[in-house]
Amino acid sequence: MSTTTVDRRSIRNSVGPGPAFHRVLNSEFIKFRTLMSTLILLASTALVMVGFAALSAWGTGQFAEQVANDPEAAAAMAAQGGDLAVSIPTSGISFAQLILGSLGVLLMSSEFTTGMARSTFAAVPKRLSPFLAKLIVVMVSAFLLTAISIYIAGLVSLPIVDNYDLKLDLGSSQSVKLLLVNSLYVAAVAAIGMALGTIVRNSAGGIMSLVGLLFVAPIAFQLIPGDFFKEANKYLPTSTISPLTAVEHVPETLEAWQAALVLGAWVVVPVALAMVLLKKRDV
Amino acid sequence: MIEAKGLTKVYGEKTAVGGVSFTVQAGRVTGFLGPNGAGKSTTMRMIMGLDSPSAGSVTVNGEPFAQHKAPLREIGALLDAKAVHTSRTAYNHLLAMAATHSIPKSRVREVIEMTGLGDVAKKKVKGFSLGMGQRLGIAAALLGDPQTIILDEPVNGLDPEGVVWVRNLVKYLASEGRTVFLSSHLMSEMALTADHLIVIGRGKIIADAPIAEIITGKGHARTRVRTDQPERLMQLLAGTGVSVEVHERELLEVSGLDPRGIARTALENQVMVYELTPLQASLEEAYMELTKDEVEYHSHITTGASVPAQAGGK
Repeated sequence: MSTTTVDRRSIRNSVGPGPAFHRVLNSEFIKFRTLMSTLILLASTALVMVGFAALSAWGTGQFAEQVANDPEAAAAMAAQGGDLAVSIPTSGISFAQLILGSLGVLLMSSEFTTGMARSTFAAVPKRLSPFLAKLIVVMVSAFLLTAISIYIAGLVSLPIVDNYDLKLDLGSSQSVKLLLVNSLYVAAVAAIGMALGTIVRNSAGGIMSLVGLLFVAPIAFQLIPGDFFKEANKYLPTSTISPLTAVEHVPETLEAWQAALVLGAWVVVPVALAMVLLKKRDV
Repeated sequence: MIEAKGLTKVYGEKTAVGGVSFTVQAGRVTGFLGPNGAGKSTTMRMIMGLDSPSAGSVTVNGEPFAQHKAPLREIGALLDAKAVHTSRTAYNHLLAMAATHSIPKSRVREVIEMTGLGDVAKKKVKGFSLGMGQRLGIAAALLGDPQTIILDEPVNGLDPEGVVWVRNLVKYLASEGRTVFLSSHLMSEMALTADHLIVIGRGKIIADAPIAEIITGKGHARTRVRTDQPERLMQLLAGTGVSVEVHERELLEVSGLDPRGIARTALENQVMVYELTPLQASLEEAYMELTKDEVEYHSHITTGASVPAQAGGK
């Protein structure tokens, strides 16, 4: 009996690859694209972003028309560089961060709520490898989806702003900068979401924490009197976009490099905490 | 081969598994039997590295599970039929699992056919019955063609045909020299499937022996006797270590004395005996005997009335 066992083992060990990272990455990508709910969330993000840009293009055009009839306002606008149209393609970004951030939460929390985690971590007992693979899948898809949606939103907005004699150059350096920074920002939010999903292991709790961080905290910090909260507000993830995309440094905000570091820290700290907890806790 | 040494899991104040040591050998089906909450699933999760032991260690084929280079090819487990994202199809679930070890699609289709999931493989797991969920879990366990197979309550929710299928499957896998470790609280199923039995109660190993030994060794052998003079035979047999139960007017069950001894007593005293049948204790009885101090909630079941009351009545 034992001899046959030994024979089997020696033969078996010479064949059969194990869970190398590229294979785990492939597995996580299969998991990502085989859930209808994920695909629906992705499609609705694109739809919302394009739709908002179109609305925003129309609204901006209306506004510009009114301004044109008012010489004083026109002068004020010209002084600002007439830069109204450039941010139209990214006008749906707060919805993108909400949907894709929630998706980040769900992709990890659902592993635990459905019990899938037991299958995942039984197949790959070194738990950080599936976590990092999922993180890459989530961040890259969030980045690409946001970037493509912004570009399509721009294309859809072009004929609308054209109607109002506004200029929108999708190839301008500011347009490209807005596209890249916003896409990176949404990827960062998706990563924060995934980390929260790993830490709380619960879909509702994870999404609520994310909403608290992205939507409630900025408003609350503004309302609470005192310099501390005014200062703290600058360090919230949502406050990092404008310094990163500003043409010139706006007073009372962080410098671009500071904002980049702050956003980076918002990703690294929760992700590191999630990794430590994932490694330590029972599945 | 699975080896546990002093394996312990403590949740707060409660000790789920209290320092168990056992070895599961290759080439036979080892049953893991115990009442609910005895620590079966916790032990199995610790083997799979999902729960970390509070103390002690467990190895699979000589190494902790997480240290294996290709875990799915080493050990396959059904720990929970619902360890699946239910919005995914069965095929995609297996495909994602297989991808981690570059297991080809042909093998995915193979295990789907083996487990009889062919018709539902492209459907979402959400709509699966408990039995189909079990089959999917078994398919996932077999995916890497592993040397060691762990199945936690595999026949739960299966129809009779499925139960027979699992029974034959695990026997076949063991006959190929694999290590098969399956838990169940269904003793009758264990009697038919397992070669070796590890009995656990309240987190402690109560018995670890071949199944035949557990049945004969722990449960006391009894003999069914039919005689037309039951009262007289009872008086003659009465003695140290012998107990007699009366089941019908002329039917006795004797334990503590072998059939030869009963026949001799009857012959010497001119009592006619017209049936003398050795009875083997069932696994249920052996199990009840083993675990009677270990279950947390006793239910009082009385089988047959006790001795003289009925016999002396008429």
